[in-house]
Amino acid sequence: MLDNIGLMKGINGKMNWLNQRQGILSQNIANADTPQYRARDLEKVDFEKVMRSVSNRPSIAPASTNSAHIGANPQLGEADNRKSKDVYEASPTNNAVVIEEQLLKAQATQSDYALMTNLYKKNVGMLKMVVSK
Amino acid sequence: MNILDAMQVSSAGMKVQGDRLRVISQNIANADTAANTPNAEPYKRKSVIFKNEMDRASGVEKVKVERIVEDDSDFKLKFQPSHPGADQNGYIRLPNVNTLVETMDMREAQRSYEANLGMVQISKAMLGKTIDLLGQ
Repeated sequence: MLDNIGLMKGINGKMNWLNQRQGILSQNIANADTPQYRARDLEKVDFEKVMRSVSNRPSIAPASTNSAHIGANPQLGEADNRKSKDVYEASPTNNAVVIEEQLLKAQATQSDYALMTNLYKKNVGMLKMVVSK
Repeated sequence: MNILDAMQVSSAGMKVQGDRLRVISQNIANADTAANTPNAEPYKRKSVIFKNEMDRASGVEKVKVERIVEDDSDFKLKFQPSHPGADQNGYIRLPNVNTLVETMDMREAQRSYEANLGMVQISKAMLGKTIDLLGQ
């Protein structure tokens, strides 16, 4: 039900993206000593654009009955899982995982996730306030 | 891939580092294991090779121990004529284990294990935040 609210949809999408990214970072660290392994990362999704399309959305929108319909619902871009091209260090076994870099990314993912859950809480709180009065 | 998969991937990483540590302990424990007859070979240093492989049960890529290989470098010689494994010149062959190298390897395994543990903690914190939403 909450998914019908554009903002919630945006938050949901971002949380999903962060979840997936956390999985990929875990994989990078688990393979920190695997020969020939290259670190991977998720492609960034432009959430600003998503939010803009959410906030500019008319309150009554036509239902999209076909996937080819444009603009009825805010589209969340599909994130791409790809290998990093510019590595700044590779071991003699051609492993290019820098643990410090990956842990920094993981920390950033964690704090972004905390931000998203807090936003979600605030929004649910606001809705509850409206409903209870 | 969800958070629980991420934790599984990290735990697979911890497991392979544990296996690596076991092999290193074996090397260090056998650093002085010479052969008992002149023609036999002493203990050979072993090392672990990792591989990232698709795990069909969970549908995610996990790191695994591909195989444990033996180090074919030269053995050390030591003059000890009284040893039953000594050749006609009085030399015995000792394993090609360098304790210093093993200690460094051990430290590396320990650090990698800690990094994986850090990822598990971060995943757990994220999961906890999501569960906290239920309390609203």
